[in-house]
Amino acid sequence: MAFLSFLDRERSIAQPGYSRWLVPPAALAIHLCIGQVYAFSVFKIPLTQAIGITKSVPGDWTQSQLAWIFSLAIVMLGLSAAVFGKWLEHAGPRKAMFASATCFALGFFISYFGVISHQLWLIYFGYGFVGGIGLGLGYISPVSTLIKWFPDRPGLATGMAIMGFGGGAMIGSPLAIKLMAYFRTPGDVGVAPAFLAMGALYFLLMMFGVFTIRVPRDGWKPETWIAAAKPQKLITSHNVEVNTAFTTVQFWLLWIVLCTNVTAGIGILEQASPMIQELFKGSIGPVAAGGFVGLLSLFNMAGRFFWASTSDFIGRRPTYFIFFTVGAVLYYLLPKTGADYLNSVTLFVGISAVLLSMYGGGFATIPAYLRDLFGTYHVSAIHGRLLTAWSVAGVLGPVMVNYMREYAIARGADKASAYQTVLRIMAALLVIGFVANLLVRPVSEKYWLPEEKKPIEQMA
Amino acid sequence: MTENVKKSSAAAILLAWLLVGIPLGWGVYNTLLNSLKLFQATPAPTAAAK
Repeated sequence: MAFLSFLDRERSIAQPGYSRWLVPPAALAIHLCIGQVYAFSVFKIPLTQAIGITKSVPGDWTQSQLAWIFSLAIVMLGLSAAVFGKWLEHAGPRKAMFASATCFALGFFISYFGVISHQLWLIYFGYGFVGGIGLGLGYISPVSTLIKWFPDRPGLATGMAIMGFGGGAMIGSPLAIKLMAYFRTPGDVGVAPAFLAMGALYFLLMMFGVFTIRVPRDGWKPETWIAAAKPQKLITSHNVEVNTAFTTVQFWLLWIVLCTNVTAGIGILEQASPMIQELFKGSIGPVAAGGFVGLLSLFNMAGRFFWASTSDFIGRRPTYFIFFTVGAVLYYLLPKTGADYLNSVTLFVGISAVLLSMYGGGFATIPAYLRDLFGTYHVSAIHGRLLTAWSVAGVLGPVMVNYMREYAIARGADKASAYQTVLRIMAALLVIGFVANLLVRPVSEKYWLPEEKKPIEQMA
Repeated sequence: MTENVKKSSAAAILLAWLLVGIPLGWGVYNTLLNSLKLFQATPAPTAAAK
């Protein structure tokens, strides 16, 4: 379609004088929107009262039915990032971001019809399936572009974008609550018009990203930056094609690194509210626990920026070593802060905050780690495939935490001490991640892309 | 021949950052307000301690 030709990669090549500092806000515009997925739970209660309005009545959807919407969206995020990553490298970030915005907004619009016709499958299809594809495309679309614009600070650049994904929930949650309150009438819970409004608002903000993003022209590099004459051992100046990268040991080691780090973090996130209430029974109630969850989300977001930026100075592998050593010790110590031992809410909150910052940091540092090992040629596509580790961790983390906790309680442990078992397993998972990180070596020469296929910007 | 380079203006860069920074700041502010509930919790009764 000719009118969409402005989306072509060739049309998004930056003219001389274009500032690279316009690229992070373009990437943030996408991530701030798609990060809304983590706030989807605010629609759950109103959706269970779509017919009864003030309370659930027969015919209303149940919470367990609605839980599938989020799960489907996250599964589609991982699948679409893995499947469309290679296409994105060819089509360019602008086309991919446009496709992401279209799918994400369309997901809301289809779900609008699902709510007004009370057809749950339409919401599964809309927000879960179509919107989920938008999530996956949007998550990986700015990654390789940012790395190419910031060869001197790849961690900082991708950290800024992925921080946006963490921040998206902070915007999505109050926005949805305010919109539902605004549209609520005696005969409507306000979800459907809120879906329409959010679809439109998010589409507009994502279009800002689409029109602002540019890819650097061939041979571009920062004016003051000179590539190291002798690169560090784990930073390659070569490139590896996505299908080849998929067959390397390094890819699967990083897959384990991401999966263990995320599984352990989800262990806290999943149980944050009940955990603090049960460890400090009588002193922390549901309202304070809600505040604790909010605090964790702040540290999750800040950690994405802090750790990814720090990795530019200390290196990617040492950064993950910190996550896995400090993390394992802190997971082990966390239950000891409870009322039965140290009885320190401050210590519990402090340790949890550090752990969550490292959970977010794990997400944000991985694109730069991939760039170090596999080069920039297909880094978004490789990142997309690595995100399957997130999908697995998203299932593994909550299942492990709940199953192990119930098992400990069934064997006679009280609720508070059952967390000891769970958190020790999380610490053990981090030890596995530590070993995987330890085994990472530079990618063998036999996997490198031939010189003639090397991206021009690296040959300059 | 001198190439006519059109540099991105500082205003455009600032505007771009504001466009994403304002909603993000609003979200962080709301989350901070919510987080404060943790510190406004009733002090722990001494009986809860071992």
